[in-house]
Amino acid sequence: MREKLLIGRLIDTGSQVHRLDPRAKLTAMLLYAAAVVAARSWPALLSLAAFSIAVMALTRIPLGTYLKAAKPLRILMLFILIVQCLAVKGGSVLLAAGSWHLDSAGLEAGMHAVLRMALLVCFTALLTFTTSPGRLNQGLEGMLRPFARCGISPERLSLMTGIALRFIPAILDEAQTIMKAQASRGADLKELPWKEKARMLTALLVPVTVSAFRRAEDLTASMESRGYRLGAPRTQYRPLSWSLKDTCFVAVFVLICLEVVWVGFY
Amino acid sequence: MNRVKTRPPNGRSAVGNQVNFTAAGGKEHVAARMAEQTDMVLLDNVSFAYDGQHEDIKNVCLAIGRGEWVTLAGANGCGKSTLIRLMNGLLRARCGCISIGGVRLESGTVGVIRQKVGMVFQNPDNQFIGATVEEDMAFGLEGMCLGAEEIGSRITRYAMRLGISGLLHRHPQELSGGQKQRAALAAILAMEPELIILDEASSMLDEKARGEMLELLREMHREERYTLLSITHDAEEIAASQRVLVMDRGRLTADLAPRELFRNGDLLRLCRMELPFRLQLAQELEKRGIPPVPEGDPAGTAAYPVTEVMRKWAFNWSM
Repeated sequence: MREKLLIGRLIDTGSQVHRLDPRAKLTAMLLYAAAVVAARSWPALLSLAAFSIAVMALTRIPLGTYLKAAKPLRILMLFILIVQCLAVKGGSVLLAAGSWHLDSAGLEAGMHAVLRMALLVCFTALLTFTTSPGRLNQGLEGMLRPFARCGISPERLSLMTGIALRFIPAILDEAQTIMKAQASRGADLKELPWKEKARMLTALLVPVTVSAFRRAEDLTASMESRGYRLGAPRTQYRPLSWSLKDTCFVAVFVLICLEVVWVGFY
Repeated sequence: MNRVKTRPPNGRSAVGNQVNFTAAGGKEHVAARMAEQTDMVLLDNVSFAYDGQHEDIKNVCLAIGRGEWVTLAGANGCGKSTLIRLMNGLLRARCGCISIGGVRLESGTVGVIRQKVGMVFQNPDNQFIGATVEEDMAFGLEGMCLGAEEIGSRITRYAMRLGISGLLHRHPQELSGGQKQRAALAAILAMEPELIILDEASSMLDEKARGEMLELLREMHREERYTLLSITHDAEEIAASQRVLVMDRGRLTADLAPRELFRNGDLLRLCRMELPFRLQLAQELEKRGIPPVPEGDPAGTAAYPVTEVMRKWAFNWSM
Protein backbone atom coordinates (compact mmCIF):
# COMPACT_ATOMS: atom_id res chain seq x y z
CA MET A 1 0.00 0.00 0.00
CA ARG A 2 2.83 2.30 0.87
CA GLU A 3 4.62 1.68 -2.43
CA LYS A 4 1.69 3.12 -4.34
CA LEU A 5 1.52 6.21 -2.19
CA LEU A 6 4.12 8.28 -3.94
CA ILE A 7 2.89 11.65 -2.77
CA GLY A 8 4.38 12.57 0.59
CA ARG A 9 7.74 11.02 -0.11
CA LEU A 10 11.02 12.90 -0.22
CA ILE A 11 13.21 12.30 -3.27
CA ASP A 12 16.49 13.87 -2.36
CA THR A 13 18.51 15.06 -5.34
CA GLY A 14 20.06 17.96 -3.48
CA SER A 15 18.83 20.54 -6.01
CA GLN A 16 18.37 24.25 -5.37
CA VAL A 17 14.65 23.73 -4.87
CA HIS A 18 15.34 21.17 -2.15
CA ARG A 19 17.32 23.71 -0.21
CA LEU A 20 14.71 26.44 -0.23
CA ASP A 21 12.93 27.49 2.94
CA PRO A 22 9.79 25.36 3.35
CA ARG A 23 7.81 28.51 4.04
CA ALA A 24 8.80 29.85 0.62
CA LYS A 25 7.72 26.59 -0.99
CA LEU A 26 4.42 26.58 0.87
CA THR A 27 3.69 30.20 -0.11
CA ALA A 28 4.64 29.43 -3.70
CA MET A 29 2.31 26.45 -3.65
CA LEU A 30 -0.60 28.61 -2.48
CA LEU A 31 0.13 31.13 -5.24
CA TYR A 32 0.34 28.28 -7.73
CA ALA A 33 -3.04 26.95 -6.64
CA ALA A 34 -4.48 30.42 -7.14
CA ALA A 35 -2.92 30.59 -10.61
CA VAL A 36 -4.37 27.18 -11.52
CA VAL A 37 -7.82 28.29 -10.48
CA ALA A 38 -7.45 31.59 -12.35
CA ALA A 39 -6.24 29.98 -15.57
CA ARG A 40 -9.32 29.64 -17.73
CA SER A 41 -8.01 29.67 -21.26
CA TRP A 42 -5.62 27.59 -23.32
CA PRO A 43 -2.85 30.21 -23.44
CA ALA A 44 -3.01 30.68 -19.66
CA LEU A 45 -3.05 26.96 -18.96
CA LEU A 46 -0.31 26.14 -21.42
CA SER A 47 1.97 28.87 -20.15
CA LEU A 48 1.35 27.62 -16.64
CA ALA A 49 2.15 24.08 -17.76
CA ALA A 50 5.39 25.23 -19.37
CA PHE A 51 6.31 27.09 -16.22
CA SER A 52 5.54 24.02 -14.09
CA ILE A 53 7.70 21.80 -16.25
CA ALA A 54 10.54 24.28 -15.96
CA VAL A 55 10.32 24.29 -12.15
CA MET A 56 10.02 20.48 -12.07
CA ALA A 57 13.15 20.23 -14.22
CA LEU A 58 14.94 22.44 -11.69
CA THR A 59 14.36 19.81 -9.00
CA ARG A 60 16.30 17.24 -11.06
CA ILE A 61 13.61 14.67 -10.35
CA PRO A 62 12.51 12.84 -13.55
CA LEU A 63 9.24 14.22 -14.94
CA GLY A 64 7.82 10.70 -15.07
CA THR A 65 7.87 10.58 -11.29
CA TYR A 66 5.51 13.55 -11.15
CA LEU A 67 3.15 11.88 -13.59
CA LYS A 68 3.21 8.76 -11.44
CA ALA A 69 2.16 10.87 -8.48
CA ALA A 70 -0.94 11.98 -10.40
CA LYS A 71 -1.72 8.45 -11.61
CA PRO A 72 -3.93 7.40 -8.68
CA LEU A 73 -6.29 10.24 -9.63
CA ARG A 74 -6.80 9.18 -13.27
CA ILE A 75 -10.28 7.79 -12.60
CA LEU A 76 -11.33 11.03 -10.95
CA MET A 77 -9.93 12.99 -13.88
CA LEU A 78 -11.85 10.84 -16.33
CA PHE A 79 -14.96 11.38 -14.29
CA ILE A 80 -14.47 15.14 -14.32
CA LEU A 81 -13.95 15.04 -18.08
CA ILE A 82 -17.18 13.10 -18.64
CA VAL A 83 -19.21 15.30 -16.32
CA GLN A 84 -17.96 18.47 -18.00
CA CYS A 85 -18.64 17.02 -21.44
CA LEU A 86 -22.17 16.18 -20.45
CA ALA A 87 -22.95 19.33 -18.55
CA VAL A 88 -21.41 22.17 -20.53
CA LYS A 89 -23.21 23.00 -23.74
CA GLY A 90 -22.30 25.45 -26.46
CA GLY A 91 -20.10 25.84 -29.51
CA SER A 92 -20.28 23.39 -32.37
CA VAL A 93 -21.64 19.88 -32.09
CA LEU A 94 -18.85 17.36 -32.34
CA LEU A 95 -20.75 14.13 -31.80
CA ALA A 96 -24.44 13.38 -31.72
CA ALA A 97 -26.21 10.26 -30.59
CA GLY A 98 -29.98 10.64 -30.62
CA SER A 99 -31.01 13.49 -28.38
CA TRP A 100 -27.56 13.64 -26.78
CA HIS A 101 -24.73 15.60 -28.36
CA LEU A 102 -21.16 16.40 -27.38
CA ASP A 103 -20.39 20.07 -27.78
CA SER A 104 -16.99 21.61 -28.38
CA ALA A 105 -17.41 23.88 -25.36
CA GLY A 106 -18.08 20.85 -23.16
CA LEU A 107 -15.00 19.05 -24.42
CA GLU A 108 -12.88 22.14 -23.94
CA ALA A 109 -14.17 22.72 -20.41
CA GLY A 110 -13.52 19.06 -19.59
CA MET A 111 -10.00 19.18 -20.91
CA HIS A 112 -9.30 22.39 -19.03
CA ALA A 113 -10.53 20.85 -15.80
CA VAL A 114 -8.43 17.73 -16.29
CA LEU A 115 -5.33 19.73 -17.14
CA ARG A 116 -5.85 21.96 -14.12
CA MET A 117 -6.24 18.96 -11.86
CA ALA A 118 -3.17 17.25 -13.31
CA LEU A 119 -1.08 20.39 -12.93
CA LEU A 120 -2.17 20.91 -9.37
CA VAL A 121 -1.48 17.34 -8.31
CA CYS A 122 1.85 17.08 -10.08
CA PHE A 123 2.99 20.37 -8.73
CA THR A 124 1.97 19.78 -5.14
CA ALA A 125 3.88 16.51 -5.40
CA LEU A 126 6.88 18.74 -6.02
CA LEU A 127 6.45 20.18 -2.55
CA THR A 128 6.63 16.81 -0.84
CA PHE A 129 9.28 15.42 -3.18
CA THR A 130 11.64 18.26 -2.33
CA THR A 131 10.83 18.79 1.36
CA SER A 132 11.08 16.26 4.16
CA PRO A 133 7.88 15.89 6.18
CA GLY A 134 9.61 17.29 9.25
CA ARG A 135 10.80 20.33 7.34
CA LEU A 136 7.39 20.82 5.80
CA ASN A 137 5.86 20.68 9.19
CA GLN A 138 8.31 23.22 10.48
CA GLY A 139 7.35 25.45 7.58
CA LEU A 140 3.70 25.03 8.40
CA GLU A 141 4.39 26.00 11.98
CA GLY A 142 6.22 29.08 10.76
CA MET A 143 3.35 30.03 8.45
CA LEU A 144 0.81 29.65 11.23
CA ARG A 145 2.83 31.72 13.68
CA PRO A 146 0.89 34.94 12.93
CA PHE A 147 -2.36 33.15 13.83
CA ALA A 148 -1.13 32.40 17.36
CA ARG A 149 -2.93 35.54 18.51
CA CYS A 150 -6.30 34.21 17.37
CA GLY A 151 -6.02 31.29 19.74
CA ILE A 152 -4.49 28.85 17.28
CA SER A 153 -1.46 27.08 18.71
CA PRO A 154 1.04 26.52 15.89
CA GLU A 155 3.12 24.13 18.03
CA ARG A 156 0.13 22.00 18.78
CA LEU A 157 -0.95 21.86 15.15
CA SER A 158 2.51 21.12 13.87
CA LEU A 159 3.02 18.41 16.47
CA MET A 160 -0.26 16.89 15.39
CA THR A 161 0.59 16.90 11.70
CA GLY A 162 4.11 15.72 12.48
CA ILE A 163 2.85 12.69 14.34
CA ALA A 164 0.24 12.02 11.68
CA LEU A 165 2.92 12.10 8.99
CA ARG A 166 5.09 9.82 11.04
CA PHE A 167 2.38 7.25 11.75
CA ILE A 168 0.38 7.16 8.51
CA PRO A 169 2.76 4.65 6.87
CA ALA A 170 2.82 2.52 10.02
CA ILE A 171 -0.96 2.46 10.26
CA LEU A 172 -1.31 1.69 6.55
CA ASP A 173 1.05 -1.24 6.98
CA GLU A 174 -0.95 -2.41 9.91
CA ALA A 175 -4.24 -2.16 8.00
CA GLN A 176 -2.69 -4.30 5.33
CA THR A 177 -1.58 -6.90 7.85
CA ILE A 178 -5.07 -7.07 9.30
CA MET A 179 -6.56 -7.36 5.82
CA LYS A 180 -4.23 -10.24 5.08
CA ALA A 181 -5.14 -11.88 8.37
CA GLN A 182 -8.81 -11.57 7.47
CA ALA A 183 -8.19 -12.87 3.96
CA SER A 184 -6.32 -15.86 5.34
CA ARG A 185 -9.46 -16.73 7.27
CA GLY A 186 -11.57 -16.59 4.17
CA ALA A 187 -12.74 -13.00 4.21
CA ASP A 188 -10.91 -11.62 1.22
CA LEU A 189 -11.87 -8.03 0.60
CA LYS A 190 -10.97 -8.27 -3.07
CA GLU A 191 -13.45 -11.00 -3.87
CA LEU A 192 -16.43 -9.55 -2.09
CA PRO A 193 -19.26 -7.61 -3.71
CA TRP A 194 -19.34 -3.88 -2.96
CA LYS A 195 -21.95 -4.06 -0.27
CA GLU A 196 -20.03 -6.71 1.62
CA LYS A 197 -16.85 -4.72 1.13
CA ALA A 198 -18.38 -1.79 2.98
CA ARG A 199 -19.36 -4.06 5.82
CA MET A 200 -15.89 -5.60 5.94
CA LEU A 201 -14.41 -2.15 6.13
CA THR A 202 -15.87 -1.67 9.60
CA ALA A 203 -14.31 -4.97 10.60
CA LEU A 204 -11.04 -3.47 9.46
CA LEU A 205 -11.58 -0.05 10.95
CA VAL A 206 -12.16 -1.26 14.50
CA PRO A 207 -8.86 -3.11 15.03
CA VAL A 208 -6.91 -0.39 13.24
CA THR A 209 -8.45 2.31 15.43
CA VAL A 210 -7.86 0.34 18.59
CA SER A 211 -4.24 -0.20 17.73
CA ALA A 212 -3.86 3.47 16.82
CA PHE A 213 -5.01 4.34 20.33
CA ARG A 214 -2.51 1.90 21.80
CA ARG A 215 0.22 3.45 19.73
CA ALA A 216 -0.82 6.90 20.87
CA GLU A 217 -0.55 5.82 24.49
CA ASP A 218 2.94 4.42 23.98
CA LEU A 219 3.97 7.50 22.09
CA THR A 220 2.74 9.80 24.84
CA ALA A 221 4.75 7.85 27.39
CA SER A 222 7.81 8.11 25.19
CA MET A 223 7.36 11.84 24.63
CA GLU A 224 6.69 12.61 28.24
CA SER A 225 9.62 10.59 29.46
CA ARG A 226 11.80 12.61 27.11
CA GLY A 227 10.69 15.70 28.93
CA TYR A 228 8.09 16.97 26.48
CA ARG A 229 5.56 19.42 27.84
CA LEU A 230 3.10 21.28 25.68
CA GLY A 231 3.97 24.95 25.62
CA ALA A 232 7.35 24.50 27.30
CA PRO A 233 10.19 26.41 25.64
CA ARG A 234 12.11 24.48 23.01
CA THR A 235 15.01 25.21 20.73
CA GLN A 236 15.20 24.12 17.13
CA TYR A 237 17.91 21.88 15.78
CA ARG A 238 17.47 23.13 12.23
CA PRO A 239 15.91 26.58 12.47
CA LEU A 240 14.34 27.96 9.31
CA SER A 241 16.25 30.66 7.54
CA TRP A 242 14.83 32.89 4.86
CA SER A 243 17.29 34.03 2.22
CA LEU A 244 17.24 36.11 -0.96
CA LYS A 245 16.69 32.93 -2.99
CA ASP A 246 13.45 32.28 -1.15
CA THR A 247 12.21 35.79 -1.87
CA CYS A 248 13.06 35.34 -5.56
CA PHE A 249 11.28 31.98 -5.65
CA VAL A 250 8.09 33.48 -4.22
CA ALA A 251 8.42 36.52 -6.53
CA VAL A 252 8.51 34.26 -9.59
CA PHE A 253 5.25 32.69 -8.47
CA VAL A 254 3.67 36.08 -7.92
CA LEU A 255 4.67 36.95 -11.49
CA ILE A 256 3.18 33.76 -12.91
CA CYS A 257 -0.05 34.50 -11.05
CA LEU A 258 -0.16 37.96 -12.59
CA GLU A 259 0.68 36.53 -16.00
CA VAL A 260 -2.17 34.04 -15.82
CA VAL A 261 -4.63 36.73 -14.81
CA TRP A 262 -3.35 39.07 -17.52
CA VAL A 263 -3.57 36.37 -20.22
CA GLY A 264 -7.06 35.59 -19.01
CA PHE A 265 -8.24 39.16 -19.56
CA TYR A 266 -6.66 39.92 -22.90
CA MET B 1 20.76 -21.84 49.20
CA ASN B 2 17.49 -20.10 49.35
CA ARG B 3 18.36 -16.78 50.79
CA VAL B 4 15.33 -15.10 49.44
CA LYS B 5 13.31 -13.56 52.11
CA THR B 6 9.68 -14.38 52.09
CA ARG B 7 7.72 -11.25 52.69
CA PRO B 8 8.01 -10.09 56.27
CA PRO B 9 4.76 -9.93 58.19
CA ASN B 10 4.77 -6.16 58.29
CA GLY B 11 4.47 -6.10 54.54
CA ARG B 12 7.85 -4.64 53.79
CA SER B 13 9.62 -5.73 50.68
CA ALA B 14 12.91 -7.45 50.63
CA VAL B 15 15.22 -4.51 50.15
CA GLY B 16 18.70 -5.10 51.37
CA ASN B 17 18.44 -8.78 51.10
CA GLN B 18 21.51 -9.67 49.17
CA VAL B 19 24.71 -8.41 47.69
CA ASN B 20 24.32 -4.72 48.13
CA PHE B 21 22.66 -4.38 51.43
CA THR B 22 23.93 -6.32 54.32
CA ALA B 23 21.89 -4.32 56.74
CA ALA B 24 18.35 -5.33 57.44
CA GLY B 25 16.02 -4.23 54.69
CA GLY B 26 13.05 -2.02 55.17
CA LYS B 27 11.75 1.39 55.76
CA GLU B 28 14.28 2.71 58.25
CA HIS B 29 17.12 1.61 56.06
CA VAL B 30 15.74 3.27 52.96
CA ALA B 31 14.85 6.37 54.93
CA ALA B 32 18.41 6.58 56.18
CA ARG B 33 19.75 6.27 52.67
CA MET B 34 17.31 8.85 51.51
CA ALA B 35 18.82 11.31 53.94
CA GLU B 36 22.28 10.51 52.62
CA GLN B 37 21.20 10.97 49.00
CA THR B 38 23.96 8.78 47.67
CA ASP B 39 21.77 6.45 45.68
CA MET B 40 20.44 6.81 42.19
CA VAL B 41 17.02 5.39 42.92
CA LEU B 42 15.28 5.38 46.26
CA LEU B 43 11.73 4.24 46.74
CA ASP B 44 10.31 4.42 50.19
CA ASN B 45 7.09 2.57 50.84
CA VAL B 46 5.66 3.37 47.44
CA SER B 47 2.12 2.27 46.61
CA PHE B 48 0.06 2.84 43.53
CA ALA B 49 -3.39 1.91 42.32
CA TYR B 50 -4.66 2.45 38.79
CA ASP B 51 -8.26 2.57 39.92
CA GLY B 52 -7.53 4.25 43.23
CA GLN B 53 -8.61 1.23 45.25
CA HIS B 54 -6.89 -2.00 44.34
CA GLU B 55 -3.21 -1.54 44.83
CA ASP B 56 -1.12 -2.56 41.85
CA ILE B 57 2.10 -1.61 43.60
CA LYS B 58 2.21 -2.35 47.29
CA ASN B 59 4.65 -0.80 49.74
CA VAL B 60 7.74 -1.07 47.62
CA CYS B 61 11.02 -0.07 49.24
CA LEU B 62 14.04 -0.10 47.03
CA ALA B 63 17.48 1.42 46.77
CA ILE B 64 19.71 1.26 43.72
CA GLY B 65 23.23 2.63 43.96
CA ARG B 66 24.89 4.75 41.31
CA GLY B 67 26.47 2.73 38.52
CA GLU B 68 24.60 -0.43 39.40
CA TRP B 69 23.05 -2.71 36.80
CA VAL B 70 19.83 -4.10 38.12
CA THR B 71 17.30 -6.27 36.32
CA LEU B 72 13.65 -6.48 37.26
CA ALA B 73 11.96 -9.82 36.64
CA GLY B 74 8.51 -11.21 37.26
CA ALA B 75 5.52 -12.70 35.51
CA ASN B 76 3.49 -10.58 33.09
CA GLY B 77 1.13 -8.21 34.85
CA CYS B 78 2.98 -8.24 38.16
CA GLY B 79 3.58 -4.50 38.08
CA LYS B 80 7.08 -4.16 36.67
CA SER B 81 6.18 -1.58 34.05
CA THR B 82 3.98 0.26 36.52
CA LEU B 83 6.85 0.46 38.99
CA ILE B 84 9.26 1.99 36.51
CA ARG B 85 6.63 4.41 35.24
CA LEU B 86 6.37 5.67 38.80
CA MET B 87 10.08 6.42 38.77
CA ASN B 88 9.93 9.20 36.19
CA GLY B 89 6.54 10.53 37.06
CA LEU B 90 4.59 9.01 34.16
CA LEU B 91 2.38 7.70 36.93
CA ARG B 92 1.94 9.35 40.27
CA ALA B 93 2.40 7.23 43.38
CA ARG B 94 -0.55 7.14 45.74
CA CYS B 95 1.71 7.22 48.74
CA GLY B 96 5.36 6.84 49.55
CA CYS B 97 8.37 8.77 48.47
CA ILE B 98 10.50 8.48 45.35
CA SER B 99 13.84 10.10 44.87
CA ILE B 100 16.03 9.91 41.78
CA GLY B 101 19.65 11.02 41.91
CA GLY B 102 19.05 12.85 45.14
CA VAL B 103 16.02 14.76 43.86
CA ARG B 104 12.68 14.01 45.36
CA LEU B 105 9.96 13.36 42.81
CA GLU B 106 7.26 16.00 43.20
CA SER B 107 5.11 17.85 40.72
CA GLY B 108 7.67 20.66 40.61
CA THR B 109 10.65 18.40 39.97
CA VAL B 110 9.21 16.11 37.31
CA GLY B 111 11.09 18.01 34.59
CA VAL B 112 14.44 17.65 36.36
CA ILE B 113 13.82 13.97 37.08
CA ARG B 114 12.89 13.23 33.49
CA GLN B 115 16.21 14.65 32.41
CA LYS B 116 17.95 12.28 34.77
CA VAL B 117 15.95 9.25 33.68
CA GLY B 118 16.05 7.88 30.15
CA MET B 119 13.47 5.29 29.28
CA VAL B 120 13.48 2.83 26.41
CA PHE B 121 10.21 1.02 25.82
CA GLN B 122 9.30 -2.36 24.50
CA ASN B 123 7.81 -1.57 21.13
CA PRO B 124 10.45 0.08 18.97
CA ASP B 125 7.80 1.41 16.58
CA ASN B 126 5.72 3.36 19.02
CA GLN B 127 8.45 5.37 20.71
CA PHE B 128 9.69 6.98 17.55
CA ILE B 129 8.54 10.58 17.47
CA GLY B 130 10.52 12.03 14.59
CA ALA B 131 10.03 11.12 10.95
CA THR B 132 13.73 10.32 10.71
CA VAL B 133 16.28 8.94 13.18
CA GLU B 134 17.95 12.33 13.33
CA GLU B 135 14.70 14.17 14.07
CA ASP B 136 13.88 11.65 16.73
CA MET B 137 17.24 12.15 18.41
CA ALA B 138 16.80 15.91 18.19
CA PHE B 139 13.34 15.79 19.77
CA GLY B 140 14.52 15.30 23.35
CA LEU B 141 17.47 17.65 22.92
CA GLU B 142 15.27 20.46 21.61
CA GLY B 143 13.14 20.03 24.68
CA MET B 144 16.25 20.54 26.80
CA CYS B 145 16.70 23.88 25.04
CA LEU B 146 20.18 23.08 23.76
CA GLY B 147 21.72 25.12 20.97
CA ALA B 148 21.68 23.78 17.42
CA GLU B 149 25.43 23.21 17.48
CA GLU B 150 25.34 21.19 20.67
CA ILE B 151 22.40 19.15 19.37
CA GLY B 152 24.30 18.43 16.16
CA SER B 153 27.44 17.35 17.96
CA ARG B 154 25.53 15.12 20.36
CA ILE B 155 23.61 13.47 17.53
CA THR B 156 26.83 12.76 15.64
CA ARG B 157 28.57 11.49 18.75
CA TYR B 158 25.88 9.14 19.97
CA ALA B 159 24.88 7.95 16.50
CA MET B 160 28.49 6.99 15.92
CA ARG B 161 28.69 5.26 19.23
CA LEU B 162 25.63 3.13 18.56
CA GLY B 163 26.60 2.50 14.96
CA ILE B 164 23.62 4.23 13.38
CA SER B 165 25.45 7.11 11.68
CA GLY B 166 24.39 5.79 8.29
CA LEU B 167 20.75 5.62 9.27
CA LEU B 168 20.25 9.19 10.46
CA HIS B 169 18.06 10.20 7.53
CA ARG B 170 15.97 7.05 7.40
CA HIS B 171 12.30 6.82 8.23
CA PRO B 172 11.67 4.45 11.18
CA GLN B 173 9.66 2.20 8.90
CA GLU B 174 12.79 1.49 6.91
CA LEU B 175 14.74 0.18 9.89
CA SER B 176 14.95 -3.31 11.33
CA GLY B 177 13.79 -3.95 14.89
CA GLY B 178 17.35 -3.98 16.20
CA GLN B 179 18.18 -0.75 14.41
CA LYS B 180 15.06 0.89 15.78
CA GLN B 181 15.96 -0.02 19.34
CA ARG B 182 19.49 1.24 18.79
CA ALA B 183 18.05 4.50 17.53
CA ALA B 184 15.73 4.69 20.53
CA LEU B 185 18.67 4.09 22.86
CA ALA B 186 20.74 6.67 21.00
CA ALA B 187 17.96 9.23 21.41
CA ILE B 188 17.93 8.54 25.13
CA LEU B 189 21.70 8.51 25.56
CA ALA B 190 22.03 11.80 23.69
CA MET B 191 20.05 13.40 26.51
CA GLU B 192 22.83 12.19 28.81
CA PRO B 193 20.69 10.75 31.58
CA GLU B 194 22.09 9.22 34.72
CA LEU B 195 19.60 6.41 35.05
CA ILE B 196 18.57 4.35 32.07
CA ILE B 197 15.46 2.24 32.35
CA LEU B 198 14.74 -0.38 29.73
CA ASP B 199 11.22 -1.75 29.69
CA GLU B 200 11.64 -5.09 27.95
CA ALA B 201 13.58 -3.23 25.33
CA SER B 202 14.94 -6.37 23.72
CA SER B 203 11.86 -8.56 23.92
CA MET B 204 10.71 -7.82 20.39
CA LEU B 205 14.12 -8.35 18.86
CA ASP B 206 15.59 -11.40 17.21
CA GLU B 207 18.41 -13.37 18.79
CA LYS B 208 21.21 -11.51 17.05
CA ALA B 209 19.81 -8.04 17.75
CA ARG B 210 19.22 -9.05 21.36
CA GLY B 211 22.84 -10.14 21.67
CA GLU B 212 23.97 -6.79 20.28
CA MET B 213 21.72 -4.90 22.65
CA LEU B 214 23.13 -6.87 25.58
CA GLU B 215 26.65 -6.09 24.45
CA LEU B 216 25.73 -2.41 24.39
CA LEU B 217 24.41 -2.62 27.92
CA ARG B 218 27.62 -4.30 29.04
CA GLU B 219 29.63 -1.52 27.47
CA MET B 220 27.49 1.11 29.12
CA HIS B 221 27.84 -0.59 32.45
CA ARG B 222 31.63 -0.74 32.11
CA GLU B 223 31.71 3.00 31.55
CA GLU B 224 30.34 3.43 35.07
CA ARG B 225 28.50 6.51 33.95
CA TYR B 226 25.02 5.07 33.92
CA THR B 227 22.83 3.29 36.37
CA LEU B 228 20.93 0.62 34.49
CA LEU B 229 17.56 -0.79 35.40
CA SER B 230 16.08 -3.20 32.93
CA ILE B 231 12.91 -5.20 32.90
CA THR B 232 13.55 -8.50 31.20
CA HIS B 233 12.62 -12.14 30.86
CA ASP B 234 15.91 -12.94 29.20
CA ALA B 235 18.20 -15.18 31.27
CA GLU B 236 21.30 -13.89 29.50
CA GLU B 237 20.48 -10.32 30.38
CA ILE B 238 19.71 -11.21 33.98
CA ALA B 239 22.97 -13.13 34.22
CA ALA B 240 24.90 -10.15 32.90
CA SER B 241 23.45 -7.82 35.51
CA GLN B 242 24.64 -7.44 39.08
CA ARG B 243 21.40 -7.80 40.88
CA VAL B 244 17.90 -9.06 40.20
CA LEU B 245 14.68 -7.80 41.70
CA VAL B 246 11.77 -10.19 41.52
CA MET B 247 8.26 -8.82 41.58
CA ASP B 248 5.09 -10.68 42.32
CA ARG B 249 1.62 -9.17 42.37
CA GLY B 250 2.84 -5.66 43.02
CA ARG B 251 5.42 -6.47 45.65
CA LEU B 252 9.16 -6.89 45.54
CA THR B 253 9.58 -10.42 46.73
CA ALA B 254 13.26 -10.91 46.21
CA ASP B 255 16.40 -8.91 45.72
CA LEU B 256 19.33 -11.12 44.96
CA ALA B 257 22.29 -11.97 42.75
CA PRO B 258 21.50 -13.56 39.36
CA ARG B 259 23.25 -16.77 40.35
CA GLU B 260 21.00 -17.14 43.35
CA LEU B 261 17.92 -16.62 41.24
CA PHE B 262 18.97 -19.31 38.80
CA ARG B 263 19.43 -21.77 41.65
CA ASN B 264 16.04 -21.01 43.09
CA GLY B 265 13.37 -23.06 41.36
CA ASP B 266 10.48 -21.43 43.19
CA LEU B 267 11.51 -17.94 42.19
CA LEU B 268 12.12 -19.00 38.61
CA ARG B 269 8.63 -20.44 38.50
CA LEU B 270 7.31 -17.23 39.96
CA CYS B 271 8.97 -15.29 37.13
CA ARG B 272 7.78 -17.92 34.64
CA MET B 273 11.33 -18.28 33.44
CA GLU B 274 13.14 -21.22 32.05
CA LEU B 275 16.89 -21.45 32.23
CA PRO B 276 18.99 -21.88 29.12
CA PHE B 277 20.04 -25.46 28.54
CA ARG B 278 23.66 -24.94 29.49
CA LEU B 279 22.72 -23.56 32.89
CA GLN B 280 20.31 -26.40 33.52
CA LEU B 281 23.03 -28.87 32.62
CA ALA B 282 25.56 -27.20 34.85
CA GLN B 283 23.14 -27.23 37.73
CA GLU B 284 22.24 -30.87 37.23
CA LEU B 285 25.93 -31.73 37.27
CA GLU B 286 26.32 -29.74 40.44
CA LYS B 287 23.43 -31.60 42.05
CA ARG B 288 25.12 -34.86 41.28
CA GLY B 289 28.18 -33.80 43.21
CA ILE B 290 30.28 -32.48 40.38
CA PRO B 291 31.51 -29.18 41.74
CA PRO B 292 30.89 -25.83 40.05
CA VAL B 293 33.63 -23.57 38.81
CA PRO B 294 35.92 -22.94 41.77
CA GLU B 295 36.06 -19.44 43.16
CA GLY B 296 38.82 -17.33 41.72
CA ASP B 297 39.20 -19.60 38.74
CA PRO B 298 36.63 -18.29 36.28
CA ALA B 299 38.61 -19.44 33.27
CA GLY B 300 38.55 -22.94 34.62
CA THR B 301 42.13 -24.12 34.48
CA ALA B 302 41.17 -27.29 36.25
CA ALA B 303 39.24 -29.86 34.27
CA TYR B 304 35.86 -29.50 35.92
CA PRO B 305 32.93 -30.78 33.89
CA VAL B 306 30.93 -27.66 34.70
CA THR B 307 33.78 -25.51 33.49
CA GLU B 308 33.77 -27.53 30.33
CA VAL B 309 30.05 -26.86 29.89
CA MET B 310 30.59 -23.19 30.52
CA ARG B 311 33.43 -23.06 28.09
CA LYS B 312 31.49 -24.76 25.37
CA TRP B 313 28.42 -22.61 25.73
CA ALA B 314 29.96 -19.42 26.97
CA PHE B 315 27.73 -17.74 29.49
CA ASN B 316 28.97 -14.45 30.73
CA TRP B 317 28.67 -13.70 34.37
CA SER B 318 29.29 -10.19 35.33
CA MET B 319 30.85 -11.27 38.58
